[in-house]
Amino acid sequence: MTYHLRQAWLAMRGNLTATLATLTTMVLALVMLGFVVLLTLNVDRALSQLESQVEVAAFLRDGADTERILSSIQDLPQVREATVVRKDAVLAEMQRDYPYVREAAELAGNPFPDTLRVRVARVADTTTVAGAVRKLDGVESVEYGAGYVERAARVLDAVRVAGYVLVALLLAGTLFNILNAVRVAMYARRAEINVMRLLGATRGFIRLPYLIEGLLLGVLGAALAGALLVPGYEALASRLTVLVPSLPMLQDRAVLAQLVGTLAGLGVLVGLVGSVVASGRYLRELE
Amino acid sequence: MIQFHHVSLEYPVTRTLALDDVNLHIKKGEFVYLVGHSGAGKSSFMSLVLKRSLPSKGEVYVAGEPLRRFRGGRTAMHRRRIGMIFQDNQLLPHLSSADNVAFALRVTGVPRREWDERVSGALKLVGLDHKKHALPVQLSQGEQQRVAIARAIVSEPPLLLADEPTGNLDPENSRDILKVLQNVNLRGTTVVVATHARDLVETFRHRTLTLRRGRLVRDDPYGGYAL
Ligand SMILES: Nc1ncnc2c1ncn2[C@@H]1O[C@H](COP(=O)(O)OP(=O)(O)OP(=O)(O)O)[C@@H](O)[C@H]1O
Ligand SMILES: [Mg+2]
Repeated sequence: MTYHLRQAWLAMRGNLTATLATLTTMVLALVMLGFVVLLTLNVDRALSQLESQVEVAAFLRDGADTERILSSIQDLPQVREATVVRKDAVLAEMQRDYPYVREAAELAGNPFPDTLRVRVARVADTTTVAGAVRKLDGVESVEYGAGYVERAARVLDAVRVAGYVLVALLLAGTLFNILNAVRVAMYARRAEINVMRLLGATRGFIRLPYLIEGLLLGVLGAALAGALLVPGYEALASRLTVLVPSLPMLQDRAVLAQLVGTLAGLGVLVGLVGSVVASGRYLRELE
Repeated sequence: MIQFHHVSLEYPVTRTLALDDVNLHIKKGEFVYLVGHSGAGKSSFMSLVLKRSLPSKGEVYVAGEPLRRFRGGRTAMHRRRIGMIFQDNQLLPHLSSADNVAFALRVTGVPRREWDERVSGALKLVGLDHKKHALPVQLSQGEQQRVAIARAIVSEPPLLLADEPTGNLDPENSRDILKVLQNVNLRGTTVVVATHARDLVETFRHRTLTLRRGRLVRDDPYGGYAL
């Protein structure tokens, strides 16, 4: 085993360029992935906080069948909750908030229609729900204040998708770099590998140093990524919390540890898969 | 120990017929010369026994097993029972004599504590115990050849294949090496020696197989160099 470790170390040192290229792409990929995941987690938290505040108000025509409209709204799958506010209650509420309304009401009668207050389960569905409600018979008009929330959610969704695409590309790049690193290492030792085979070494024995190389690259890349990601994120999070106190930044150490663990697992997996594939392929090529 | 059954070997790229319908049987414990002009197919014969290449036709058996059937790790296990001395010695240039010999033990998983004793034993047998720390470049051709022999015999294989083991040696050194090979044979190892050296074949008489352009043309049980 010490022999194989030594051989792996020699292979990595012998092709420093290939080793560094692999490490760089691996660290970039893992850090990127970490940030995208953290962004997603934080955005989800912010959105769910906003969600509890987002509401669609539907103003009904005079004489509309309030109960029927209510039940059709409640049938919409995106709706979490819908409540009726009768015109009297609206008036009372308005009179309480704006005393001059009282005089107007005394002159012209209650100007307010029955109103339905609708809460959607997900902010992203607000427009859909508003559109559906507007089309219902007896609905005069619809109002919702959270158009900006939805737009922000859309933009962030796009950012997230772009992030994952980038991560996928970087991971593919990492894999190719590992294939290349192993190939270069095996090519440099082809004479030795040839002699090993003729002396009766098994394929596993010959491949082991390169598997260890892949494993070490994975572990090293994951460690570096974790070392960059965690302090970087924590600094960013604490600064943002100071700047925007209302933003509920994720600062849970356990979640971070779990994320780093997952990234490490991914790094090791990519390293191992790359070296298993490469060593098997190039050994066959050398035969 | 070795059986060739209608064996032909054609190298695909050049379409050279290196061996042409060869039938032979080498028994356990024999000492056999394989002679023939350059290009007659001696090294090709060795390649087939080691399963470096597969015959285009026919079948090679070693210890009764057809080599073509070997899958996965069986080829490696097959090679472990063969000590091979290559025409171009195949020593690793960055390793000392002792390390080159120990390499054969390392790659076949022999425990490290056995290495020292077995390596010096093998080097003593070829008379090179005093040069165990020298790199191949620091050795003469003949000494390199002897390191290669030590590496081939250190794992005490039941079959020893020597391809031109005396290729670059003066007659005296050649005779020394042949004596080493005969000693190994006396301990029960089957030995096949491919050679050009007429004087050796005539001095140390053993069964002699003669190849001519890939065909086995003579099989003299008591030796004799007839080309
Ligand atoms: N890898 C190869 N590809 C194509 N042709 C080959 C290859 N190796 C050997 N040959 C050809 O096969 C024939 C037999 O070669 P081989 O090496 O077996 O001869 P040999 O008897 O060992 O010769 P020598 O005494 O010079 O070592 C020759 O004609 C050679 O040119
Ligand atoms: Mg030859």
